[in-house]
Amino acid sequence: MYLNFSFLKTFYPMLLQGARLTLIISAGALVLGFILGIIVALMRQSKSKVLRFIGSAWVEFLRNTPFLVQLFFLYFGLPELGIHTDPIVTSILALGINSSAPNCEVIRSGLLAVKKGYYECSYALGYNSFQTFRYIVLPVSLRLAFKPLTSNFINLVLTSSVVFSITVNDLMGSSKTVAARTARPFEVFIFIMLAYCVFTFVISFVAKAIDRRISITL
Amino acid sequence: MFEQYLSLTHYDIYFFLKAIGMTLWITLVSITIGTLIGIVMGLIRCSKNKIVSAIPLVYIEPLRNSPLVTQLFLTYYGLPVVANIVLDAQAAAIITLSLNTGAFFSVLVHSAVKAIPKLQWEAGFALGHNRYSNFKNIIAPQVLRLLIPSAITLYINQLQVSSFVSLISLIDLTKAGHILTLRTMRPFLIYGIVFVLYFAISYPLSKLAQRLEKKVAFNF
Repeated sequence: MYLNFSFLKTFYPMLLQGARLTLIISAGALVLGFILGIIVALMRQSKSKVLRFIGSAWVEFLRNTPFLVQLFFLYFGLPELGIHTDPIVTSILALGINSSAPNCEVIRSGLLAVKKGYYECSYALGYNSFQTFRYIVLPVSLRLAFKPLTSNFINLVLTSSVVFSITVNDLMGSSKTVAARTARPFEVFIFIMLAYCVFTFVISFVAKAIDRRISITL
Repeated sequence: MFEQYLSLTHYDIYFFLKAIGMTLWITLVSITIGTLIGIVMGLIRCSKNKIVSAIPLVYIEPLRNSPLVTQLFLTYYGLPVVANIVLDAQAAAIITLSLNTGAFFSVLVHSAVKAIPKLQWEAGFALGHNRYSNFKNIIAPQVLRLLIPSAITLYINQLQVSSFVSLISLIDLTKAGHILTLRTMRPFLIYGIVFVLYFAISYPLSKLAQRLEKKVAFNF
């Protein structure tokens, strides 16, 4: 048993390109998932019974079905509806929708943690209910939810590795090609594993540093 | 000419049933082994000796912070080349998922033990328990109580990610749906069925976890 990492010299541009695509996909999905998460969290908080039901059904459905099936569903189902997109957009869509469920839970618990006094105080200052939400409640609850949101993001990056199954050449997809071309799958996949580890460590380190500055206790 | 292949037949029901069996089999075996690994690793992690407690991190952190697909590919495609260990898809899936579950479970065990306040230990020592009997009679039952809901949540999650084994050519529920979609060209129907089947398995479990979570919370 010997390990041979010389593939890195020849194939690093390919892997870098894959890493770039992974970054693009996860960044897009992060934004989409965040916005959807806020919307669904608000739906679950609303007074209308129908909206509450739709919100909780959305979350329960996404949490109780595998991401891979959701991805295939969008990839094979969207053309049936007449929407032809490329796999990258489909995977951003699928990842964003999937990550909206845990994001919604986290944001909702942040919203619930904002005490009644905050609302009363802002009404007393003459804010209407939208302004209260926009300037008082949302910033506070997002600060509370920041830490779990970053761990959701790390999860999202790790999940994004399966989009190679719908022909996206992200980090995992390009590493598969490299493994096939060099016939050294063990070294390639070990390297990719460590690359993902380093990536997630960097994210969580940065997130901790940011969290230390913005965290608040109510 | 080939219209007969475009619709679902009674044979496809058997196909789906077999596929569900495969998914459940992989999940159940791997969470059982993973729980055992997780308990051992989690208890080592709770050791007072700083060096000993850091040892499991070598196992836990790489598995928690890398995608499961990469781990699956590493065992399935990587091991035969490097170590001459040829595993069939099922064995590779079970080994990888067990190790993966073990890594996550040991973190749960560790945090559950840490969540028990120091007072409980001190009270046990004051009553004359030694470290072992203190753990066995006082700490472990409370840890178990804290652990159950989060363990169920982890098991549900492992059921979801067990769909990744379809990427190493194992015919589980996801792969079965994929194959039938390619044959019948009806993604909405087939993936609808697959969604319903997964949902039917994991939704009751997640409700159970939610109910237990409310029940087991301590007010120390």
